[in-house]
Amino acid sequence: MRVRAALAVVILGGWLVAAPAVADEAPISGAVKAVDAAASTVTLESTAKGKTRTVVVHLKPGAKVVKFTRATEPGKTGFVEQPLSLADLKPGWIVSVETKHEGGKEVADLVKVVLER
Amino acid sequence: MKTTCKLMLLIAALAAFAVWSVRPPLGLADPKNGEPHEEEKGAHAHVPAPLSYADAHMPVEAWTDAALIARGKEIYAAKCAVCHGDSGDGKGPAGAALPLKPPDLRDRHAIDEMRDNYWFWRVSEGGAEEPFKSKGSAMPPWKGDLSMQDRWAVIAYQHTFSGHKGPHVPWEHPEMVQVGRDIFAMACIQCHGAAGKGDGSVGATLSPRRAPQPRDLTAEQFKFRSTPSGQLPTTADLVRTVTEGVRGAGGPLTLGLRGYRIMPSFRHMPIEQRLELIEYVKSLNRAFWSRTRIETVAVPAPPPVTPERVARGKQLYADAECLACHGERGRGDGASAPTLKDSRELPIVATDLTQPNRFKNGSSPEDVYRTLMTGLAGTPMPSYGDSLEPDQAWDLVYYVLSIGGGRPAAAARP
Repeated sequence: MRVRAALAVVILGGWLVAAPAVADEAPISGAVKAVDAAASTVTLESTAKGKTRTVVVHLKPGAKVVKFTRATEPGKTGFVEQPLSLADLKPGWIVSVETKHEGGKEVADLVKVVLER
Repeated sequence: MKTTCKLMLLIAALAAFAVWSVRPPLGLADPKNGEPHEEEKGAHAHVPAPLSYADAHMPVEAWTDAALIARGKEIYAAKCAVCHGDSGDGKGPAGAALPLKPPDLRDRHAIDEMRDNYWFWRVSEGGAEEPFKSKGSAMPPWKGDLSMQDRWAVIAYQHTFSGHKGPHVPWEHPEMVQVGRDIFAMACIQCHGAAGKGDGSVGATLSPRRAPQPRDLTAEQFKFRSTPSGQLPTTADLVRTVTEGVRGAGGPLTLGLRGYRIMPSFRHMPIEQRLELIEYVKSLNRAFWSRTRIETVAVPAPPPVTPERVARGKQLYADAECLACHGERGRGDGASAPTLKDSRELPIVATDLTQPNRFKNGSSPEDVYRTLMTGLAGTPMPSYGDSLEPDQAWDLVYYVLSIGGGRPAAAARP
């Protein structure tokens, strides 16, 4: 009985702790400062909670860079994703990325262009 | 059995530590101190527009102008919908990915509280200004891409998402000036009255049966302005008045108001609260929403004071008939002084120029220059904006201040 109780504590404790850790897939938005297509990195200047930081985001192999354009197909009025290459990103553009912290790096597999300017 | 249980608990504690240790150290996603995520709060924040945008009131008819709204719809679809969503729900494909989500423009409660000048500021400057910059707003500034008319058009279209059909003005949505109204009720109502007509119970006792009386804030005559004669003041003018108070000889009940003030200084009030108060004060006078452009009388840098300037000013003092009211020695005892009345037909005293610390509109050279060039609406003090060149005005300013004991030399910046 006590073993079962202990197991329940382990499972519950693990779940309670792991749940917020999953939420650490943090969205970041910011202005592109630099793009290194060879190294598959994009450097962003991002501000959150009063702090402005420079974040180097490492893109995973096969990561997508997309922007949103109006659908051109008849009858469709919404937005569609238009794929870009990493090299298409320009300094000053505003992008958002969902990053994960892996191996001491911020990694992402999708970069969304918010504004080209 | 006890040992097994302790072992299990130790394993659980270690597992917990292991999971926490791999959390990103950036603190981007972890709510601290129980605060919700930024994206949950949205970008809406109740802050007054800065002075540079405080006078940007949208013409009332623009809110319901079908052609303007149609133009706004085109611009919105091209530039805004990708974040704010075609339906204004803040769930456009680009907006949905942002840490700080765009606001839901269909939220009528939030929209009702949003003032037009705030809205115009946000569209114009985007997230580049505080407090939105610190929150990580990705909203771009549109002032470089969209004309003022186009920004109004977009705002008029965005307003349609809220479902409100009329103009988005304080008299339709009292919520947008609620904070200022509360401050007014605590700090101003005693003199200016519940409706702002200057008929508060205390006001009349400050200088019984004579001017100055508390301002009727619903009328179009405001004494202290940087705008030409006959026009409403700017928000900055109102901030100056609220901040400095109004000096004057006052009556017996003004003894407690420091520095002979007939209206107290509210310098101690945080600027955000003063701005909220002024937004409420402006809402009492719809004319603030009907002016299409605002001119201000520029105050050039004061020239150096010289004896020649003061001498020329003395001559102007006579030529411009200042002495008719203010008297030859500036003591407010000119020949016309006993007959002076204000716009309410109340007797009014000509200012004693030997007491610059009691000048109602301030006693710095710049203050006196502004008073000369704009006049004091509702009083016999006219504007000399059309009759004096700036250089002549400075001559007169320096002579007037010299009457009070040679202050201009100390105050002027060469």
